[in-house]
Parts: sequence; structure tokens; C-alpha cells
Amino acid sequence: MNGNSANFWYPVAMCSGIDAARETLLLGQPISLGPSGGTFWVRDAAGKDLPVIERYGHLWTSPGRPNRDLFSIPEAEAPGRRLVDCGSIKVKCSPLRAVENFLDIAHFPFVHTDILGAEPHTEVERYDVEIREEIDEVWATRVKFYQPQAAKSAEGGITTDYMYRVAAPTVAVLYKTCPPKPGEWDIITLFVQPLTEEWCEVWPWMALYDDESAHADMVSFQQLIFMQDRSILENQIPRKLPLDPGMEVPTQADMTSVAYRRWLKKLGYTYGAQVVAA
Amino acid sequence: MPSIPTHSFAWVTLGMGCSVTWAAVALSDDLPLGMAMPCRLEGRDLAVWRSASGQAFVWGDRCPHRGMRLSQGFVRGEALSCIYHGWRYGHDGGCVYIPAHPDLVPPKSICATTYKCGEADGLIWAALEETTETIPPVPTGIPVRSMQVDAAISQVALHFGAPGETLITLQNQHPVTIALQPVDDTCTAMHISTTERHHRKAVSRWLEQQRAEIESAAA
Repeated sequence: MNGNSANFWYPVAMCSGIDAARETLLLGQPISLGPSGGTFWVRDAAGKDLPVIERYGHLWTSPGRPNRDLFSIPEAEAPGRRLVDCGSIKVKCSPLRAVENFLDIAHFPFVHTDILGAEPHTEVERYDVEIREEIDEVWATRVKFYQPQAAKSAEGGITTDYMYRVAAPTVAVLYKTCPPKPGEWDIITLFVQPLTEEWCEVWPWMALYDDESAHADMVSFQQLIFMQDRSILENQIPRKLPLDPGMEVPTQADMTSVAYRRWLKKLGYTYGAQVVAA
Repeated sequence: MPSIPTHSFAWVTLGMGCSVTWAAVALSDDLPLGMAMPCRLEGRDLAVWRSASGQAFVWGDRCPHRGMRLSQGFVRGEALSCIYHGWRYGHDGGCVYIPAHPDLVPPKSICATTYKCGEADGLIWAALEETTETIPPVPTGIPVRSMQVDAAISQVALHFGAPGETLITLQNQHPVTIALQPVDDTCTAMHISTTERHHRKAVSRWLEQQRAEIESAAA
């Protein structure tokens, strides 16, 4: 296992989907999990119990000694929100590449054409990015982008406001304009389970103000988006995320990705990262 | 059983430290106008694409921005764009447009890896290293198909009785020329052509038999 990756919390299942014991991988190691009297257990390959937390629809565990609590999303707990379990998609890429793609808006017109973006509306205006030292998270704010259909509940094109937050190395939270409720944010998260350094299971989850859309439609909307992302993520070379500058060329639109890579490097988080330029 | 080659070129001397100068990488017919496709040569991932005016290009299969395969990209006019963020690259591989920053003139340093590419006798050829050699002529003018075989190029050449060669002409019932492309250490692509259009089906079937024989011998 690389660096200190064991000492973080990871999603390993959607709570509503755990009906029997099963096996999975975490950081390249086999683990098992299952239900037990209204709660859940997780064990490593040696049969040792691992700590569990149930939060935001998912079961979280850590094979090491987490040096901080699992993140929280206070806004998600406000009344009136629909909490939407989306299931998962397995992707043959580094867990870090999956997170970085989630933080990226410049790809919308080309990968999510006519849904999250469309030519000629390709410009990414300057936005703000910071590593918030006191909470040790990456935040991007004042992000704006024109979208033909920003959400299942959106009709017609709008300029969408975004905030992005990296709450843990494999957890990203997106706050975006909420079409039916101006002034509030829709919350879409990407919880990534590192199966190996080059294979991950992505668990999207949402907390939305949307009383209209059918659950199945909301899930299939998200799945369409992530299937489109997968066609990119499985075709990046190398599969691991390069942390050293020089191998890939960022521009101003990539400020969030640059901050994310810098933050991973500062944390010493190298699982799924390529630290020496090939 | 393949017949004895009567016409061949020793463009490669495998096992003697020399590498391929020109290698066939695709049939011209398999790369229509405005199309990009992936290809591998000596273990290197390549993007082969054809501009609207018909010129073929062979580049490294990687956008310098975020490592996306350029072979998944799209061609508009004389440029290849990456499918991830739409970065656009001109004939010389230099980035000419970044859609996220429409007013920016991309720095010259942003450049796809380019390789020498040529097209002749219905085949697209690439050279990974600089070369002054010319593309070898193919005596049979009707391209038939490309086919991959799970065997090293040396085994394939040996099977056709032409050890060390990459362009092999055989006087079979239907004359054929097979251009060999070393995909990697365990895989070879065969690009075959013949002399008459109506021989194509028979030649195609014959090549399938050869593949089966080569793979069972290698297994």
C-alpha cells in the first residue's frame, strides 16, 4: 500500500444495497462486508473487524488509523431535500483520475454534449480556488458555466453556478444552481472506492430539491453522465494520475485540478498517483 | 502451405539491433476522410487520422493536456481535436486552439508527438525514427484487408518463408503481398494485397488459414 492511503475513510457499499455478505477490494486488499441486526460490518482478509460509519447513504470504512473524522455535508441534512442513491459504476482508471474528472468543467461541451455543455459555449471564466488550511480541503468557488440541460429538472439552457469541494482524497462534493429553488444549492457527490490503483468503483450520491422527477429518471440521468465520463477515464494514458508537473499541461481552466494534485502531494497521498514522470 | 517468396525487401533485420524504418500501419481504405483511429507499433500507442483534404497523419496517441487518447478525437477540416476538452492540433502537431480559452493563442510548447507518415500503393506507412529511406513499393495493387495475429513478427515472417523480412510477396494461386506491422512483442498485424479485385475473398480466407496456422504453431 502506498504512502498513508490506509488512514482515510472510504465508501465500500450503498447501505440500501447490502442484503447479504459480500466481498470487495479496498486499496488492492480483499475485504468483506455484510448486514447484521440493522447495522453493518466490514472485515479485512484476516477476519479483523474494521471501523464502520454509515453516512450519506453509504457504508464507510478504513483499513488504517484515520487521523480525522469522516467529512460532513451540513447542507445535505436540511429538510426538504431528496437523498438519492445512484448505485455504482466500476471504472478502469485511477481513483484520483475519477475525482479529477469530476472537478473539471471544460470537458462538458465535448463529453456531455447538449446536456452539461455545448459549443460554442466553451469558455471557462476565471474562478477562485484555494486549499483551506484550517479544514485541509480543496475548494473552488464562483465557477460558472453555460449548460443546455443542467439537471433532470432543468428546462432549456442556463448559466449554472458551481462550487467544488474535495473533502478527502477520493471524495468530491459539487454544489450547483438548483433550478426549482433559486438561492439553494443542489448537492451531487462522487464517493470513490479505490479497488486498486488503476480500478475504482464510483458511488455518486445526490441531495436535491426536486419533487417532480421520478427516482429512476434521476438515476438514469446521472448514469448517462457517468457512462460518458467513463469513455474518457478508461482512455487516459497513463492510467495513474501524474502528480509531477511536466507530464501534462494545465491551463487556467484547470486550476481546481492543479490544486487537487498539489494537495495530494502535500498529503503524501500517492495511491493511484504517478509520482515520477515516465 | 505458403509458397516460396519471389519478391521481398529486407527492411528489417530482426534480432540484429536494427529496427523497422517504415512500417505499414493501415490500409488506406480503412481510414476515410475525417477519421481517427488507434494503432500500435513496436508497443507504442499511435493515433492515425486523415484530414478533410485527404492527408494522413501518425501521432502519439496522447493529448499533452490530460493524457486522453487522440485516436478517440474528432477531425474538423485540417485539424485533429481531442475529445476530452476539444484542444485542436494542426498538421505539425502544434496546439492551435483551446476552447476553454477562445482568445488565447496556445504556446508553441503545447504539441502532440508526431511521426513521419506516408501513403503509397493503398497502404499508410509510419516511421518511428527519422529516416531518409523511401517507402518500399508494393507490387500488388489491390488491398484486401488487415488482420492481427498473436505472434511475434519474426515468427510470422518465418512462417511465410521470409525470415527477417517485413514485406513479403508470394506467388500463390493468387499473388499476394503481405506487409507486416510489429504491433508489440507478441502481436503482428498483416496487411495483405493482391492483383485482382475478384481474388479478394479467396485471399482473405487464405490469410485466415495462415493466421490459424501461425497461432497454433506459436501456442
